[in-house]
Amino acid sequence: MLKIPESTTRDDIVAIVERHGADRTSLIPILQDVKTAEHEISDEAMQIVADLLGIHPVEVYSVATFYAFLHGATEGRYVVRLCGTLSCDFAGKTAVAEALRSALGIDFGATTDDGVFTLEWASCVGMCDQGPALLVNDRVFTRVTPEKVAEIVAQYRGKAADDARQDIVTARNELTYASIAAGAGLKAALALPRGDIVDTVSGAALKGRGGAGFPTGMKWNFCAAEKSEHKYIICNADEGEPGTFKDRVILRDFADLVFEGMTIGGRAIGASMGIVYLRAEYAYLRAHLNDVIHQRREAGLLGANIGGIEGFDFDIVVARGAGAYVCGEETALIESLEGFRGEPRNRPPFPAVAGFLNHPTVVNNVETLASVACIFAKGTDWFKGFGTDKSTGYKLFSISGDCEKPGVYEFPWGITIADLLKEVGGGGAKAVQIGGASGVCVPARDFARRLAFEDIPTGGSVMVIGPQRDLLDVAENFLEFFVEESCGQCTPCRLGNAQLLDGVELLKSGACSAAHLADLKALGATMQVAAKCGLGQTSPSAFLSIVGAFADDVTTRPQRA
Amino acid sequence: MSKILIVDDDPDIQEACRLVLEKEGFQVGCASNRAEGLRAVADVKPDLLILDVMMEEPDDGLTMARELRRQGFTEPIIMLTSVNAAMGLTIDRDDEMVPVDKFQSKPVEPATLVAQVNELLGL
Repeated sequence: MLKIPESTTRDDIVAIVERHGADRTSLIPILQDVKTAEHEISDEAMQIVADLLGIHPVEVYSVATFYAFLHGATEGRYVVRLCGTLSCDFAGKTAVAEALRSALGIDFGATTDDGVFTLEWASCVGMCDQGPALLVNDRVFTRVTPEKVAEIVAQYRGKAADDARQDIVTARNELTYASIAAGAGLKAALALPRGDIVDTVSGAALKGRGGAGFPTGMKWNFCAAEKSEHKYIICNADEGEPGTFKDRVILRDFADLVFEGMTIGGRAIGASMGIVYLRAEYAYLRAHLNDVIHQRREAGLLGANIGGIEGFDFDIVVARGAGAYVCGEETALIESLEGFRGEPRNRPPFPAVAGFLNHPTVVNNVETLASVACIFAKGTDWFKGFGTDKSTGYKLFSISGDCEKPGVYEFPWGITIADLLKEVGGGGAKAVQIGGASGVCVPARDFARRLAFEDIPTGGSVMVIGPQRDLLDVAENFLEFFVEESCGQCTPCRLGNAQLLDGVELLKSGACSAAHLADLKALGATMQVAAKCGLGQTSPSAFLSIVGAFADDVTTRPQRA
Repeated sequence: MSKILIVDDDPDIQEACRLVLEKEGFQVGCASNRAEGLRAVADVKPDLLILDVMMEEPDDGLTMARELRRQGFTEPIIMLTSVNAAMGLTIDRDDEMVPVDKFQSKPVEPATLVAQVNELLGL
């Protein structure tokens, strides 16, 4: 039934649409603003937005219901999102969740009667080293205790709610980024022909730092060789892998290096526009990033004829994600930027040919781009002096879980797990989860293995699992994550993870037969080849590694009565 | 007699090009990858290079063409490749990123290849 909207709502939405432009690519920013203003995206609002954008209301509905930060239900003035990831679990999430239920008088997924608070789970807010963590709208609270919950709730019921300080203290060792002179990389790169820029990156053998490890120079090479009036370079700041938070530190403390890397990439591939896709959970970084971009424009490092190169026009904008893990996959990210559900595309065509708005596009991780700036500042030989032959350079690792000094640490590629654990006080661990929920669980007997593309590749997440932990709880946490975060597009991922989660429940209750476990392993292996995107393909990895490496533990549970 | 070097990791392509070009009276050498190709260019000093793109790395030919131009190799290069079909790309020659004289997609008719070689060598 068509509902007739109230004129005030329509006027407000018209103003929002005018601000963003009546274009499909503006759909998500428009819905974000509607949600902020109205605390809901009503059916009426969706109809108005659809009308103004010239698309069907079903398309607006499909997008609004896809993203965790947009879904249509009415929310309170303050949305409390408690992080559900494993590290926060280890740090006492359950007690904090109970304290939140008690303090607010509601369960997760509900809103208080006075319309002040909504309580929700977040898949991961990227504070794994400082858990339990929660967001209240865009503000972060870390190391939350049940006692602190009462303070936070009282604060938001009172007048102190405008306090925008972020509660973030990240331990780290000495990062190379801190030693790089601002602007040195960009200056060196702009002195080179475009082809030499690409070849320098290829010569450094830089591989993508987001996890997949695709050679950066090759991505740039193909995109640079493509012919198009419009090209784009996108910084993937959708750091949603549980246990990963190094990009948060880079964006906060070394944003200039990231933007230098984007500018160098823009020059190399022939792009005039760079886009930072910032995950919704990092919205509090947006103002800082925009400040840095503004300063770079003022300094002539963005804008027209950069570096005095006639015709080299390049600028950067920050786009905000809306809460979907799958948007870390580059084609899903592009779909999201275009105003669609974040569902991965079929490849080919690759983004280097047909990416954002069907134009050639390079998508690089935050750390990859910062590393580009360092390579030009100090040279390929310097960069290749770190790491191994097949994994050159250094890597930032996000270390969390059962260790004394969780935080962001830089090590050269090739470091053994044992050496890494020594640095962070992780002695006595019975396992480490490398690569986040989509990674592998490595038992203590394999701690001599190396973190490198040729041994255990990783985007940098290292979750230390102490001897007191139940590995089936670990598998359960990750599978709950994938059941929640699967985009639902392909059957292996959508149904497979739910089946594996059921299997974990059976294992925990001692009711999983050997034959059924064999079926689950076969299902996991099928998912690894049959899921549509890299995220779906890696979703069973933790389960498979746990039931493989810890078979004696997970298959011998006493049967529950 | 003009010297032609073929750099391609596919032995069938090497052999087919060699047969066609030797029949036309050219002296033909072959290399199977980028490193071998760069060495062969230095040793043989070919009058024309036929260069594949996807070899040990999918972008080897693009990188090698630029590397040769940086080194001062000014002889004509025919990029003979199926990279566009294989990867859905639309690459063509250009002075900055693909500094070759002809961009020819595989498969190629022998007569077309010979005609391109003759044209580039001014024969």
